[in-house]
Amino acid sequence: VLVLVHSPLPRIRALLQRCWGRLERGLWPGVFRGQSPPWGPALAVQGPALVPQGIKDTGESSAKVPSLLESMVWMAAPKQRRTIEVNRCRRRHRSKLIEIKRNIDVCPECGNLKQKHVLCGYCYEKVKEETQLIRMEIHKKEGGPFNAPAVETVVLYEGEKPTEKDEGKRIIERTRKRPSWFVQN
Amino acid sequence: MRLSVAAAISHGRVYRRFGLNPRSRLDLLRNLVTALVRYERIETPWARADEMRGYAERLIDYAKRGDKDERAMRMADFWLTEKDLIHKLFKVLAPRFQPHPGSYTRLLQIPNRDGLDRAKMAVIELKGNPLPPLPGPRRDSDKTLLNQLLKGYRQDAQRAA
Repeated sequence: VLVLVHSPLPRIRALLQRCWGRLERGLWPGVFRGQSPPWGPALAVQGPALVPQGIKDTGESSAKVPSLLESMVWMAAPKQRRTIEVNRCRRRHRSKLIEIKRNIDVCPECGNLKQKHVLCGYCYEKVKEETQLIRMEIHKKEGGPFNAPAVETVVLYEGEKPTEKDEGKRIIERTRKRPSWFVQN
Repeated sequence: MRLSVAAAISHGRVYRRFGLNPRSRLDLLRNLVTALVRYERIETPWARADEMRGYAERLIDYAKRGDKDERAMRMADFWLTEKDLIHKLFKVLAPRFQPHPGSYTRLLQIPNRDGLDRAKMAVIELKGNPLPPLPGPRRDSDKTLLNQLLKGYRQDAQRAA
């Protein structure tokens, strides 16, 4: 059996090699099964090198754009233009629209808007600033890293004295009037 | 038993995945627990705070056993990477939470993070901390119009009965 692997394209070559492999192994029952295995090429001649064509020809054939008969790679492409009605149905489907939130309320303290299950941003910012200042005082008092004391802490504002409850506690002084929302316990 | 969608899909697995591997997840949570014990109020992504909450509360349960207990000390040694906090845990937090049977932490959601990721953030704090109180969930005040009208109606009903 004379087999000539003619095509210069790597994809086609690979495809033909696969087909040949399947034929060899008898996995391609479409082709005749009655032949005596194993098959083997009597003479395999590679591509354009040995076929008596001019050198110019080989140059041209390798530079040629593959014709439609040889490009056998199938890709998906839409068959019909999607009409604007179909497009609208898809683009405006309920799952693609932004949901409106119905859980927005007014914070009773400051009057800003907040979500029902979330803390008010403004009130939390106030608390965060105050804790930041308290932590700076704590840092100054501790002096360095890893000096956490083994006693409770109490924060006192201007003009406040430690009570009997704050007996063994470390006192942090803040140089401002006590804010109305920070109730002393 | 009817489960929520997420609970059903997880097929019984309750631990979230964090970090690069299970060991890194534990290290991450350990850092958060250490920070919580040090600063008593921290702000982290909600998932991490939720995961860390269980570990922190169990650590305090261990600390309540007292520092003579070998297991309690080994737990505290593993979970607190900064060793001065072991003293704070046994001498400050354990007595503070001795009267309470459980739930030593408070987890509240905050507005989403300001950065590009808009992550769901939460603040987790130990109860009884000396810092200013968070604007917690307030019940409706008695002075709103609706509540005053309802109060009047209740009083009228009582007088009639």
